Amino acid sequence: MSDNNKKFIDEHIKPEMFEFVQKDQKIYDKKFETKPIGYFKDAMIRFGKNKTNVTATIILFTLILLSILVPILTNKNYEKQDSVLSLLPPRIPLLEKIGIADGTKKFTDITVDPETIGQIESNPDWGYPRGYNPDFIIKGTLTNSVESCVISDEACKGGENKLLLNANKSAAAIMSAEKVPVVNDDGEIQYTDSGKIRYQIVPVFFDIYSGVEGQIEIDIDFFAGDEYELNVYVVENVLNTTTKEEIYELKRYKVTTINEAGTITITFDDIFNEIDNPNIFYLATPIILELKGTPNVGNVVLNSITYTYGENTIVHSGYTLSTYALVPGEEYNGLYVRQNGTLQTASFKYDAYGALFEQDLLRENMSTMDYEGILTENKDVCGKIPDESEYPYDFPEGCPITRVEERIQSAPKEGGGYYYNYKVYIDYKIELGFEEIPYYIFGTEQEGKDYFALIFLGLRTSLMLGLIVAVINISIGIIYGSIEGYYGGTVDLLMERFAEIAGRIPWLVWLGLFVVIFGSGPTTLILVLTVTGWLGIASVTRTQFYRYKGREYVLASRTLGAKDMRIIFRHILPNGIGTIITSSVLMIPYVIFSESTISYLGFGLGGSGTFDLFGFVELPATSIGYLLYRSRPELTTNPYLIFFPAIIIAILMITFNMFGNALRDAFNPTLRGSE
Amino acid sequence: MLRYILVRTIWIFIVLVTFLSLLFVTIRLVKQYPPVDPEQYKIHFEKEKSYGYYTSRFVDDYDEVEACQDKYGKSKCGVVQVGERWRIYEPVPISKQYVSWVKNIVTDFDWGLSTKIKANEDVFNLISDKIGVTIKLNFISLFVYIPIGFLLGIIAALNKNKLVDNVIMLGVMIFISIPNFVMMFLLLLLFGYYLGWVPTQFPSAEATGSVVYTSLILPVLGLSLGSIAGLARLTRAELTEVLTSDFLLLARTKGLTRRQAVVRHAMRNSMVPLVPSIIFAFVSLIAGSVVIEMVYGIPGMGTLYVQSLAQDQIDYNVNLALSAIYTTISLFAVLFVDLSYGIVDPRIRMGARK
Repeated sequence: MSDNNKKFIDEHIKPEMFEFVQKDQKIYDKKFETKPIGYFKDAMIRFGKNKTNVTATIILFTLILLSILVPILTNKNYEKQDSVLSLLPPRIPLLEKIGIADGTKKFTDITVDPETIGQIESNPDWGYPRGYNPDFIIKGTLTNSVESCVISDEACKGGENKLLLNANKSAAAIMSAEKVPVVNDDGEIQYTDSGKIRYQIVPVFFDIYSGVEGQIEIDIDFFAGDEYELNVYVVENVLNTTTKEEIYELKRYKVTTINEAGTITITFDDIFNEIDNPNIFYLATPIILELKGTPNVGNVVLNSITYTYGENTIVHSGYTLSTYALVPGEEYNGLYVRQNGTLQTASFKYDAYGALFEQDLLRENMSTMDYEGILTENKDVCGKIPDESEYPYDFPEGCPITRVEERIQSAPKEGGGYYYNYKVYIDYKIELGFEEIPYYIFGTEQEGKDYFALIFLGLRTSLMLGLIVAVINISIGIIYGSIEGYYGGTVDLLMERFAEIAGRIPWLVWLGLFVVIFGSGPTTLILVLTVTGWLGIASVTRTQFYRYKGREYVLASRTLGAKDMRIIFRHILPNGIGTIITSSVLMIPYVIFSESTISYLGFGLGGSGTFDLFGFVELPATSIGYLLYRSRPELTTNPYLIFFPAIIIAILMITFNMFGNALRDAFNPTLRGSE
Repeated sequence: MLRYILVRTIWIFIVLVTFLSLLFVTIRLVKQYPPVDPEQYKIHFEKEKSYGYYTSRFVDDYDEVEACQDKYGKSKCGVVQVGERWRIYEPVPISKQYVSWVKNIVTDFDWGLSTKIKANEDVFNLISDKIGVTIKLNFISLFVYIPIGFLLGIIAALNKNKLVDNVIMLGVMIFISIPNFVMMFLLLLLFGYYLGWVPTQFPSAEATGSVVYTSLILPVLGLSLGSIAGLARLTRAELTEVLTSDFLLLARTKGLTRRQAVVRHAMRNSMVPLVPSIIFAFVSLIAGSVVIEMVYGIPGMGTLYVQSLAQDQIDYNVNLALSAIYTTISLFAVLFVDLSYGIVDPRIRMGARK
């Protein structure tokens, strides 16, 4: 420094060497040649510099745009239930060419229908399950395997049945019975809630005549060393020869006692010898096998029971034997279980789209209304409604109904006549209005709704709810924080304690309180989201107020006689609002996050229809969280139902957070890096 | 210091009592869900009577039964037929119920019996069966998350704006954004179903062998990934700030190696906001485990809590007891956070006067 100065002074510049610059010119303020950059523009430039954030923002806005457009523009149904379309796997153009999302569904270990065994060319021992068309099983994917089974089901073949005594009981008994489907008065088969046929156990009666050649053979394995006996009983349901009257008297006759393994033969004569009544020559009876023994030890294995009557032979073994029912009663208590059975199961890949759209599907019971509705709607292509005499009738090409086979009489109409159902074949491609086999990009869900549209519909609800709740939270937070910060002192202290208490109760416990009062649903959801959501904003606002309330311009305004409200809303808030808004950008993703969690737990949105928000916004009651909640049981069988909503909400949350952070950093560079 | 802890504990107690009282009164005023089974129904109302919430009397006239049902609502009026007569249970006024409730808890620590989940089982018996697995999961997650979170944060801070840092921060952004149950679903699909490395369902209590350990992997990951990301981000931010501060420059100038400077001077100073965040993370882990338990079918406290709020099957006593546990944990966590400031940074004296 000092060296430089010296050099400078030593130079001795002469005064003539100086000359005036712009001596005769008047100097005015010049305009900037560059455009001025305001606060907002500066922020935008900062925002644009980070390419990752720009990409995230573009993805985020694409998602938002899709959530608005997809439900409007889609040509697929996402509102009506359609069981035929239920659970179609995803099928995506281009990707399907490389074998991903190609509309095939993988089935593993489905019980084979015995009637189909032998129809498969590649292996004569193999079969496929009922309800599947072998043409649409992807070639080379079908394999069969044999597993052991203990269930009482027709598909479970072979094996034995074991009768054992329960602890502390000395007897157990089974009687000949069979499993038959339950039918109602109209002869319709009844189903359980889970869609399986409802069965009941009914006794099987055997007609036994005295003097007629016939026998019952019982093949039994005993376990050596155990002490017990097996008694065979018949229960009479007899015809009295003298009076020719049937007597329905439950009387039990012990026919024989079996003590060792092997085949025991009981002839009809043996049975009638036991019955000491010459008038009886006919018995219609269930057979009862009674096991008696010391408690805890007894069990016998029944291999088969063969009934021979004249030339007829009925063999009960495996499944048929397993349908025998335990005899109820005080003295009896035992178990009757199946063992060593084998079950043939098939694993294969199935072309679900082909099976639905490339073949005509049989509908057994189409109501008159649907039938005539479709025909009148498509009058141009279908032509006339055929007369019953013309059945089976093939409709011309292009008609959704390709063939009608018969008209089935159903319930009687009031005032005479009957309702009718039709047995028809339907081309679903035409009925649903598709020219090609459609692409359900994300597949369809349980009720046959298009999952792609449904997810974006749910996304829209999530976003709208996020926005609305964020606005509520921010408003409450600003008002609360303003009052706290502005008045200070005791007011601040009390309000701060209150906020603290509200914030320290876990959200789960708040959830419990609201569920108890309001039940599950949108009300509870919004209350849980708002009850603690405003705390952060309130604390930021409070800090801003402490920062600005002592400034001179506030003092000046107050001296001029301004009221509190005016000072708060005209002077302090506008100065602090920048910080408040940027710190609340992340409120929306936070709300979406919480909403999906609560809906996933089953306390949020209900899924069907719409719900009102304070009477002015109507939102569909489907959100991503709800879709995940409902798809939980399908995780094993249809993982795509979980995968797609999970991925979409993950992308939404990531991009939203990146966008929020970027926005905050851009507007408030000092905060960069923190949080 | 002792006085400070005492005052704070009393405060916690006041908040807890106020909130639980509010919850109790609410619960007693809304619709009740007594057990359906007739035998259990009878025992339930007898017990309620012995707790002092109900009175009972015999009536001969069915009209009186109807009058009771009209007056208190069907769910709050217990009716048991005894021969030709009826025994009706009527609720006492809510203020008296409240007094009885406080008395039961203070004298016997009796929180009542379950009504729906397991009729007439003591709620704390029910909870103690389930709390073990939840606590186990949360502690394992805590021990997994703290070292990993720290390590990632430190690595990122020391390599600021280099490739390693960018990769870590991208991961942090992803894991912090995804809701933990969505993360759990994705992990379950990938490791459980697609790769088949871990069980797809939490095994029952009787299970033995390696499945007991492998089944813990997914829930621990699901619980801790989000927290790891949060801790890594905070550690990075704090450490970056400290690394650029003057005293660290001084430490380097006086001849310490970079490692010494970072370990001895930077770490401890960046710790101040981290310890509280860890304690808060523990609270959020416990709350977060509800969702994880639901996804993975873990029979823990969270599953029990959701069960106790099932539609039209609400089990009030179980819910009340669990709420008490959750609230207590949360309130004491805040106290520990405040105390921890003083331990990590002796300059901060909690409760010190001006």
